[in-house]
Amino acid sequence: MWRVTVTRHLLHSLAICMTLLFVGTTIAQESVSADQDPTTAAALEADAAAAASRDKFRSLDQDVQALKKEVLDLNRDLFLLEEELLFPANSQVAFFISMDVGEYFALDSINLKIDGKEVANYLYTEREVDALMRGGVHRLHMANLKTGDHELIAVFTGKGPNARDYRRGATLTFDKGIGAKYMELEITDRVKKQQPEFVIKDWE
Amino acid sequence: MRIKNVLLGIVCCVISAASLASSGLTGQAAPDFALKSSSGENLRLSEYRGDVVMVNFWATWCGPCRQEMPLLDELYSRYQRVGFSLLGVNIDDDSSKAMDMVDELGVSFPVLFDAHKEVSKLYEVGAMPVTVLIDREGTVRYVHHGYKPGYEDKYLEQIRSLLRE
Repeated sequence: MWRVTVTRHLLHSLAICMTLLFVGTTIAQESVSADQDPTTAAALEADAAAAASRDKFRSLDQDVQALKKEVLDLNRDLFLLEEELLFPANSQVAFFISMDVGEYFALDSINLKIDGKEVANYLYTEREVDALMRGGVHRLHMANLKTGDHELIAVFTGKGPNARDYRRGATLTFDKGIGAKYMELEITDRVKKQQPEFVIKDWE
Repeated sequence: MRIKNVLLGIVCCVISAASLASSGLTGQAAPDFALKSSSGENLRLSEYRGDVVMVNFWATWCGPCRQEMPLLDELYSRYQRVGFSLLGVNIDDDSSKAMDMVDELGVSFPVLFDAHKEVSKLYEVGAMPVTVLIDREGTVRYVHHGYKPGYEDKYLEQIRSLLRE
């Protein structure tokens, strides 16, 4: 009986010790977490500030990008508006230069006259000629012309077959109606005659 | 009265020197042009975009040009490989005289002929020589009217600073 009582006391004491230990550990943990609180809070605040600053920068960057886009759009609109005002579609005439092969002619310059008045005199560099030979088209001149007949004279200067100086003219009388007009001055090779050919085409 | 005249003279000198050092073109996009060169090919300024370009307007009858050209050629030889180009624009009516002078001076930079003075008008050439420095973006940065010994040091400094940009 005495033994049972002692065992019971022992168990009781053990239980109390365990409870005290548990409570102590919990308090200690709580005190530790209470001790850590200020630093954690500061770190969290710093993180939040950094995130806010990042967001702010991102939004600033987006604003700058949007502004840049708006400037580009505005620039494009202004350019188109300027062209529409300076060269109204109804009286607009544009002259383009193209080259097909170009084996018998090395282009140096083109002189363009409309109704006897010189409107363009363009010197072509090696790069520009290369671009034309690769299929590029160059807008040589843009003008406003009244409706009616007009005379176009194009003088092509360069090196012909056997690297001889070559100068040829092409003339065309064209009718400017209502609406824009586009004309192409094409340099081609006439293989049979081994000579270059200069053709003025009217784009309908 | 005499002191007044002297002072007036000094003020005039300072004003004219200041106007010569700057030009209306400074800070503007360099007007584009294409001209026939001494080698026979046509050269266009816009094709040099990305390089620092010096355009030097000169004439055979201009003494300072003769003095300046060999010095410019030295700069050209030194900095050509790092993106510096030099275009000498001759404004004589007769290009054969210019060719003779180029041969005599032995300069290696491209020489262009502006017999019709169209490019000279574009660049408001009112003195001889005129040296224009254009940055990689195609903007006129420095314009020098005339030449005096020592100007080449200024050119050197400006070329180096533009190349560094």
